[in-house]
Amino acid sequence: MARPAKAGRGFPVWLGLAPFGLVLVVLFAVPVLSLLKLAFGEGGFTLVHFHRMIDVPVYRSVLGTTLGIAGLVTVLAVLASYPLAYVMATVGPRARSLLMLLVLLPFWTSALVRTTAWIILLQSNGVVNALLMGSGLTTTPTAFIYNLSGVLIGMTHVLMPFIVLPLYAAFSNLELSTVQAAESLGAGPITVFRRIILPLTAPGVVAGGMIVFMNAIGFYLTPALMGGPGQTMIAQMIASNINTELNWPFAAALATVLLVATVTMLALFQRFFGLERLIEGGGGKAGEPFTVTSRGRSPGGWAAIVAACLVGAFLIAPIIIVFPMSLGSSPFLAFPPDSYSLTWYENFFGTTKWVAALTRSLQIAGLVVAISVVLGTLAALGVARMRPRWRSTVETIFILPMIVPVIILAVGLYYLLAPTGLVGSIWGVTLGHVVLATPYVFITVRAALKSFDGNLEFAALGLGASWATMFRRVMLPSIAPGIAAGAVFAFITSFDDVIIALFLTNIRSRTLPKLMYEGVAHEIDPTIIAASCLIILVTVLVLGGNLLLTKRKTT
Amino acid sequence: MNISALGKAVSIQSLGKSYGSTRALDGVSLNIAAGEFCTLLGASGSGKTTLLKTIAGFETYETGQILVDGVDVGPMPVSKRNIGMVFQNYALFPHMSVRRNVAFGLEMRRLAAKEIENRVDEVLALVDLTAYAERLPRQLSGGQQQRVALARALVIRPDILLMDEPLGALDKNLRQSIQLELKRLHAAVGATVVYVTHDQEEALFLSDRIALMDKGRIVQASTPRGLYEKPANRFVASFLGECNFIPSDGQEIAIRPEKLRVGRDLPGCDKKLEGHVTAVNFIGRGFRVMLDHRGAELAAEVDASDEIAALRVGTPVAFGFRSTDAMDIASI
Repeated sequence: MARPAKAGRGFPVWLGLAPFGLVLVVLFAVPVLSLLKLAFGEGGFTLVHFHRMIDVPVYRSVLGTTLGIAGLVTVLAVLASYPLAYVMATVGPRARSLLMLLVLLPFWTSALVRTTAWIILLQSNGVVNALLMGSGLTTTPTAFIYNLSGVLIGMTHVLMPFIVLPLYAAFSNLELSTVQAAESLGAGPITVFRRIILPLTAPGVVAGGMIVFMNAIGFYLTPALMGGPGQTMIAQMIASNINTELNWPFAAALATVLLVATVTMLALFQRFFGLERLIEGGGGKAGEPFTVTSRGRSPGGWAAIVAACLVGAFLIAPIIIVFPMSLGSSPFLAFPPDSYSLTWYENFFGTTKWVAALTRSLQIAGLVVAISVVLGTLAALGVARMRPRWRSTVETIFILPMIVPVIILAVGLYYLLAPTGLVGSIWGVTLGHVVLATPYVFITVRAALKSFDGNLEFAALGLGASWATMFRRVMLPSIAPGIAAGAVFAFITSFDDVIIALFLTNIRSRTLPKLMYEGVAHEIDPTIIAASCLIILVTVLVLGGNLLLTKRKTT
Repeated sequence: MNISALGKAVSIQSLGKSYGSTRALDGVSLNIAAGEFCTLLGASGSGKTTLLKTIAGFETYETGQILVDGVDVGPMPVSKRNIGMVFQNYALFPHMSVRRNVAFGLEMRRLAAKEIENRVDEVLALVDLTAYAERLPRQLSGGQQQRVALARALVIRPDILLMDEPLGALDKNLRQSIQLELKRLHAAVGATVVYVTHDQEEALFLSDRIALMDKGRIVQASTPRGLYEKPANRFVASFLGECNFIPSDGQEIAIRPEKLRVGRDLPGCDKKLEGHVTAVNFIGRGFRVMLDHRGAELAAEVDASDEIAALRVGTPVAFGFRSTDAMDIASI
């Protein structure tokens, strides 16, 4: 949307950009840069820490493991996404919404809850092993977790949406006539897939795959809780060098490597998107999208349906399993529970540490929402009124906290804030969450502003309104849904976070996820399952509330 | 190009197909001779595209059968039918060059690389695209993409060439030049063509035979002249060109606007009637005069003359026609 430069009167650009800019400098750039400085030597420049990474076999193998796991997760996510995306593109709108929900639900479920649920499902006396042995398929428990398969399952589960969504878009862009043209020229189903569908959906897969890989190399929780010693990834190595070895410079060097790898992937991704081309199609009128005609599906299509059902079950299983489990009454985790009761909820609300942690989490999330909504909205307004020249650079900087692995931010903030005493209060973790959450508000408000008709602004100003009045009476009501969505994302970001809390809270200031983490890392107490359900419920309530509000707005 | 007379005869026998409660095809029968250019003409929803897609094998049908060269193709998958198909949006493979697009069908037939190259070169020369062989489809204009689509369909030497509104996306000038090109190609190649369009001028210009469709049925199938001059019923008469229906002794006389004469002298007219002028408009090649005759509105297209130019709205005027020009149509 082009705006004349003079429209800047009334709301100066700097007022929009400065607050979040300042927060980013103090709470993001400074901590990350001081880590980098630490990595290259506090006294004078040295590469000794980086040499050590290559020379010591343990560290070398951690780097290899990190890349290997990230690569495997990317491949698995692609393989699992193809049938699902194909089915999403070829079924009716209702089934499509259901599948979309299946894909997005893990994404919106706290990492800790998901991981807990997987452990319950997959541990040696867990649900899956009970089913396998009960049906006679196996006689002894299969080790699904605390090894490579556990890490792959947990990570693929949460990272799949990044591939399913662009792949679904690619399938929707595919034209029915393109496929029919290949068939009319003599191509059977396999050739059509290999020579037409695969190359035309590849750009979406590559884009999604890069995002998955970029995310995967920074993973901390899943390998820590679902892997064994052989699956130690770089983020865990950073944490253990800080928590147990107290070797800050080496941890900083590892963080530098992770940061460089992530930023490289990001740069490659942007290059790639510059090359986004193949999806546009061969010109002419846009035809009917790819679908199933009266001839029905090919055997391959039916195989894809079966595969998609299995993938769907994989996505939803851990989330639905926790509800019945939380209502069991026995202290031993069995599925289905022998008898149902509210014992574990009573236990949750009857124990001071759980209630205190829940209250604190809500308190922190509330503060984070309030602060990040103001910062993010101002930043979006500022960027919208900027000259176009620097706009995309500033946009990239403002969303950087979403891209840089959380462990780096957490460690950097810990390094910066430990001497100040903020770590023991709720403010340390609140500030960390603000840095993480504001980009979400920025993105949603920015999108809302893009669809806001600039002429409305000129019309109101032309009728004699001051800029402040115009904002309050014209602009704010129309971007309110964007702000509300941003607030929801900010709330969930804060309420679900473990990693920031792991470093920036102590026993007096710990949040609910941190308390759960401490439990899961040792032994799963059924109260944790009740807590998981409460977290899912709060998330669903917040998401659902927002959905209802926007629905009412549009009807 | 020596692929002439490769087309095969198509026989469609009482084909029926439903989408829910609507009859998409309602007992369609049509025989198309080998090498014939047959157009399915109709409004949208008339079933013409559905019929084309069932011939191609993209859609199934519930009753009847389709014979190609005497063989029932019903159970045959699309990929085994040896059809050439040109889509409305061309459906070129966006990730392949012109050469690879055209070669695709030959690769499916596992021809030797050398022969593929030769045949691709030959067909690209035929559609005058040799210089564009290495380009991607999006680097071509609409008309060039159209020709690539045609070359890709022709190179496999199809039994039938099916074309689904292939000129729909082009502007008018380009459409006319490609129509000429198509006619030339059809004469050179001699393929059996089934062509779908809603554009009656295009149908008249291109076809050996036109099957006019409405509500899933073929209303009339005939040569372009036969359809225009001897329409079977009122629907055909008004769909193809314009038609006046003059009330006369409780019956109706159907006559084309260009067959009506207007003015004092009506040379050659053995039927003479009276009406009132309701409008006179200059349309380049002559005048279009609108008349009111006993409550019926009639259109006449007449040569320019001072007498016609001087007609005033509301004044009475004489008009007439030759009774041999009146068309004998069924009343429905």
